Amino acid sequence: MTRTDTAPPLAGSANRKPGRRIRLPAETGAAVGLAALVGLLGWLQPSFLDPANLSLLLGQAALPGLLAIGMVFVLTMRDIDLSAGAAFHLAAAAAALLMIAGIDPWLAALAGIALGAGLGLINGLLAITLRLPAMVVTLGTWWMIEGLSLVAGKGQTIAPPGANSGFFTTLSGKAFAVVPAACIVFALLALAMHVVLHRTRFGYRVQAVGSNSQAAAYAGIPTPKVRLLTLVLMGAIAGLAGVIHVGAQGSVAPGDGSSFMLLAIAAAIIGGTSLSGGHGSVIGAVIGILLVQVILSAMNLLDVDAAWSTFATGALTVLALAVDRLFRMWRNLRAGHGEDNLLG
Amino acid sequence: MSDSPILFVRNVARRFGGTVVLEDMNLVIERGSIHAVVGESGAGKSTLIKVLAGIVRSDSGTIEFDGKRATISNPNAARKLGIGVVLQQAGLFPERPVLANLFVNREPLHNGLISRREMEARSRDLLRQLGLAVDVHAPLGELGPAERQLIAIARALLENPRLLILDDPHSALDRRETDRLFAVLRGLKGKGMSMLYASNRLKDALAIADQLTVIRNGRDVLSKARQELTTSEEAMIGQLRQSLFPLPLRAMPTLAGTLRPQLAVSGLGGGRLSDVSFAARAGEIVGLAGLAGSGVSDLIALLFGAQKAGAGRVRFPDGDGLPKTRTEAARRNICMISGERGNGLMQDKSIAFNLANVVVGARDWGSRWYSPVMALGRAARQIEALRIRSAPSTPAGSLSAGGQQKVIIAKWLEIGPQVVLLDEPARGIDIGSKQEIYALIRQMAASGCIVLLHSRELSELTGLSDRILAFHQGRLAGEIAGADMDGARLLQLIAPGEAEGEGQQTSREGVA
Repeated sequence: MTRTDTAPPLAGSANRKPGRRIRLPAETGAAVGLAALVGLLGWLQPSFLDPANLSLLLGQAALPGLLAIGMVFVLTMRDIDLSAGAAFHLAAAAAALLMIAGIDPWLAALAGIALGAGLGLINGLLAITLRLPAMVVTLGTWWMIEGLSLVAGKGQTIAPPGANSGFFTTLSGKAFAVVPAACIVFALLALAMHVVLHRTRFGYRVQAVGSNSQAAAYAGIPTPKVRLLTLVLMGAIAGLAGVIHVGAQGSVAPGDGSSFMLLAIAAAIIGGTSLSGGHGSVIGAVIGILLVQVILSAMNLLDVDAAWSTFATGALTVLALAVDRLFRMWRNLRAGHGEDNLLG
Repeated sequence: MSDSPILFVRNVARRFGGTVVLEDMNLVIERGSIHAVVGESGAGKSTLIKVLAGIVRSDSGTIEFDGKRATISNPNAARKLGIGVVLQQAGLFPERPVLANLFVNREPLHNGLISRREMEARSRDLLRQLGLAVDVHAPLGELGPAERQLIAIARALLENPRLLILDDPHSALDRRETDRLFAVLRGLKGKGMSMLYASNRLKDALAIADQLTVIRNGRDVLSKARQELTTSEEAMIGQLRQSLFPLPLRAMPTLAGTLRPQLAVSGLGGGRLSDVSFAARAGEIVGLAGLAGSGVSDLIALLFGAQKAGAGRVRFPDGDGLPKTRTEAARRNICMISGERGNGLMQDKSIAFNLANVVVGARDWGSRWYSPVMALGRAARQIEALRIRSAPSTPAGSLSAGGQQKVIIAKWLEIGPQVVLLDEPARGIDIGSKQEIYALIRQMAASGCIVLLHSRELSELTGLSDRILAFHQGRLAGEIAGADMDGARLLQLIAPGEAEGEGQQTSREGVA
């Protein structure tokens, strides 16, 4: 960059001219990866593209996907909710038990969602009154909630009666014979929450708190309220996923949803949500959870031992983190801020 | 040991992106002497030091250390050469014991375990030499600022460096603590240590230095031995900042004094502050002077709702009392701009996002939606008005320090503030941006804001304020206005008994 001789040389005040590079959305990497993988699998194993298989895949992606949407908000706020999977299970168990007790399934479902939101509220209140990161608080509540669901279900599968009532037929139904109902809820909620994160005051505050909570507080952003609402949102979404699970499966088994919390975090990270807060992408998380499920399903189709699927999910998360990190380091280096990394 | 200089810096240049920080820097440090580098913040002092410490690499130029050409590519290389560095942010761990801070990453091992006994043995003499009688097992945070600074120096000295570099080591210290630091440095010089001492306080640099280099805009503009410095040159360096402050603008000529809205504080106490009363009118810049611990920062925190008041009453121009939270303050158009940019800036977010902080983030009225289009419009307007040389979508963290501070100011200007609390608003930024920010502060006052300005740089207070309130140990120690406002007068008020004016200071230097 050249400097003209007429301008006074004020060291430090001239900023880098804004680059003209086209800014690709953060989700691009994951989306390209997903498309390539689906293409590759369709070519290797044409049965992968069967409607039945795709329908199964979508159904498996929807529930952890819902949790991933909430997790995007929590991660964007530079926090993490470890209790989401347990809240999912407790909400499902509670809804199922209420149905057994004879309460209208729709009402019981509503109660399940409210229970999820309540668990989020408890997490949030603990986090803001004790001024602890949500990760620490939810590490504790995770076990508490898990313990409660074990007590509630007595370690047994809970199967509410009335499998042909409206609630169950709606949620286990499929649109156009392929798309499970859970998927439609997932897609609609993802779109809505994407708008909430990027286009509303609440979403703005979540990003602001995640980017620099100190600066947010000094700018007058009500940070405790934002943290509380975000954790309540996460809980409510976990509750929603729980009752959809009851509706779609017709029962709740003890181990259900045990891997969802980690899947949700992995999906959010793969989709470009930054663990250091400030940036999040709901659409990215949708792509992320699809990517994870495609890989799991591919391993199944290609007869890889099921035990390897957990390993694969973890490896993919590490890969996504590494790619994201390397990209950032490369960009910092180009911007001339390379020494930042040197300091750690 | 030869008598040739220990360090040569020749034509060193460094730029960050398009920003030239060091342009053509030359420096020669003699053995066994204290060499002061003075210049406004932003002139390139810190970068020069980081180059010598191996934290930042120079783009061009050569460095010669101890007669040999040296490439200092990382902090370890600097350490191996024998360059000890005490940075402005010393990188200490307040929660860890003093000993752990002294031996960070270099803990002596005994059978594979960290040997506390050996750490004690190795540090005992050094600490005594520095006049530090502290419990080495106490957490560092329990020590005073001067002691912490000396610990940072001790840590550098444990390496047995041949050149000790100190970046603005007394910025957090008061007069007495500074004198103590200087005594230690003179003692080290007596033992043959060479030192590079960077500062933006000329008077202190003159008091300690054997040689002096003045740098401006990344160049060395003057380099001389202390004794050879003529009084006219001294005066010239002193006047570097004279033209910094814009003339006062005529404020609100239509309103008579008594009708102007005012902030009335009576008997306010809380934190270190006790029983403080004063009033500030719209259109006025009221300076708040006080050392660390004088209660000025508590006053600002109280007025901004960041801290609870213990006693007293405050009436803001809108008729209400103290805000209970920062959110309430922001909603009532009370704003706080701090020089601590970590408290004001979202580095990884765009300028447009940052500028929406208060308008969208703090308020609970207006649209519930965040419109990127409106944010861009807002950003374009403020970028134009404040001459922030960047695009709205640029991450705020990539701006220069001055640009970042302008973004922080701009986000508050968006709401049309009534009361503006400034806590060292121009800390650590270059002269050009400083001037622009000073002009902005004047403008805010002229447009009818009540401006309270706190700064550790007394010249900033005397140059900008209409009157200055001086605080000492939590109490209002006095008020000066008009022609009475000069640095010496102010110093007497904020640090009574420790500074007896400038004459005393130079005579003390003569003795030492």
